Amino acid sequence: MADLSVDLAPNNPRELRLANPVIAASGCFGYGLEYAGVIDVQRLGAFVSKGITPQPRAGNAMPRITETPAGMLNAIGLQNPGLRGFVRKYPKLWETWRVPAIVNISAESVSEFAAMARVLDEQPGVAGIEVNVSCPNVAAGGFCFGWDAGMSADVTRAVRAATTLPVIVKLSPGATDIAEIALAVEEAGADAVSLINTLVGMAIDTRLRRPVLANGTGGLSGPAVKPVAVRMVYQVASVVRVPVIGLGGIVSLDDALEFFMAGASAIQVGTAIFAQPSRVVRLIDELDAWLESEGCASLAEVVGAALPTRPAGPGTATAAEPPSEFDFAAALATR
Amino acid sequence: MVDLEPRRTDATEEAVADVTVRAREFEAEVVAVESVMLDSTLITVRAPNGLASQVRAGQFVDVLCRVDGSYDPLLRRPYSVYRADPSAETLTLLVRPYGRGSQWLAAQGVGTTLDVLGPLGNGFSVAPRSRNLLMLAGGVGAAPLVLLSDHALADGRNVTYLMGAATAEALLPAGQLPSDVEYVVATDDGSRGHRGFVTDLLPEYLRWADQVFACGPGPMFRSLRDVSRAHRVGGKPRVQVSVERGMACGLGACLGCVVETRQGLQTSCVQGPVYDMDDLVW
Repeated sequence: MADLSVDLAPNNPRELRLANPVIAASGCFGYGLEYAGVIDVQRLGAFVSKGITPQPRAGNAMPRITETPAGMLNAIGLQNPGLRGFVRKYPKLWETWRVPAIVNISAESVSEFAAMARVLDEQPGVAGIEVNVSCPNVAAGGFCFGWDAGMSADVTRAVRAATTLPVIVKLSPGATDIAEIALAVEEAGADAVSLINTLVGMAIDTRLRRPVLANGTGGLSGPAVKPVAVRMVYQVASVVRVPVIGLGGIVSLDDALEFFMAGASAIQVGTAIFAQPSRVVRLIDELDAWLESEGCASLAEVVGAALPTRPAGPGTATAAEPPSEFDFAAALATR
Repeated sequence: MVDLEPRRTDATEEAVADVTVRAREFEAEVVAVESVMLDSTLITVRAPNGLASQVRAGQFVDVLCRVDGSYDPLLRRPYSVYRADPSAETLTLLVRPYGRGSQWLAAQGVGTTLDVLGPLGNGFSVAPRSRNLLMLAGGVGAAPLVLLSDHALADGRNVTYLMGAATAEALLPAGQLPSDVEYVVATDDGSRGHRGFVTDLLPEYLRWADQVFACGPGPMFRSLRDVSRAHRVGGKPRVQVSVERGMACGLGACLGCVVETRQGLQTSCVQGPVYDMDDLVW
């Protein structure tokens, strides 16, 4: 057995230590319970809850989902019981679970984000918070928080101040420069970043001559988005020191390895769980077997293997140092 | 074989009861394939131990309609269980090839292994005192009502099965139903039975029926609703309908298949697909 464990909040005394780096992604796993009768949920490294908001939300009109080539579009509209309804039901249950539960939060203002984090801070069964910055900032005329470094940092700083829980900021691929956003949220106190959220897409019903989804646009996910996600993980992992959690279209072991080699310390599996619930658990075994066959004692030996150079720092403590380039100048000087 | 038995911590048990689906993801070998209803196919697969006796009429299974390693079509396709044979440990599905997933599935031969998730959904509920059950089927909506008929007859109830189709060839062959079922049909072209909608037949059976069970296309449901309004007395008999929604997970997680009911939004994959017609907000 290779060492699959990973701490996704090495700078945080509360830690976010996972037995393995395979996480069920937000929106694709309900609140964990939905899958508890089908797969062994406790085997996962962690899972992220469906996004919750300060108030209950009924979500969008139907249709909410449609299949696309090797992917799907969704516009659920954050249907959820609201923070209070959530707190009544899930943390007490999760406290009895071995698997760490991470809560995904969405809000329309910086203060709402902070208020949610304060409430979650006191919940026993919550291992961490994932901040969804891919939602509109009402104070900024509905402009997405995650597309602006300053707004992303404001949310991160406010959440950071409101809780000592590990804070993961989930980055939006809609940003012009995702690396800039990643650096800004790292500076603002994020313990880790996860990426990518879905890409905004649309499908047209050619018979009805209007968009398929009632919402018009929807978030594209699944294997179709993987190359975009790998590129962005690579870009972000090249500049930040905090752990990077990679997601976007992961189905197979090879998909997962791409993300690890691009610099992800952990991965999330989303849409693939819809298609094949067992996949996410089998991925853990496949990863373990692969590391064994490669003679790797730990996953850390592979993380960032495809990056040209790695930033040094506390965030990379669990990752192996890549072979440094031969220093010609130093070699000549000592001759 | 990917046969993942449910595993839960004891403390989860209580909370699990209302949300968690006890389903299995399993590899199912195709053991029989039969053409039926003009363009459709009956596919019989081997089911894991006990599943065929456990499945309730109106429940469905989610089938992955692609070869391993392919990502297209990405999502599973839901199929109501048409027939379940506990002694042979098999399930039969009725597949009409109208989309990419169903075309792939209908083309699979005996010996193919399918990735199946189920059983899913709530299923029909027959009141203990209901003696006379009326089925109303349109197209592939016939599937769950066949299993319901099987179970009802085994329980000693009376079944009348109304079915409508465009032509005689598109009807469910009478031989597919148990001989004790009264089978009454309607066709658009009058090539067999009543010429017109199957719902035209409803009024004369409503007084006889203790419960009505319906599954079919949208226009049939709209007609069912209108006929029910005009001919039911005091909301009797109760009518259960199985609705069809596009869905991703089948387990109540994605919230992509919700239905608006008088009790609020419900997931048609877990809290449905069967609803009391009067609970639906149309």
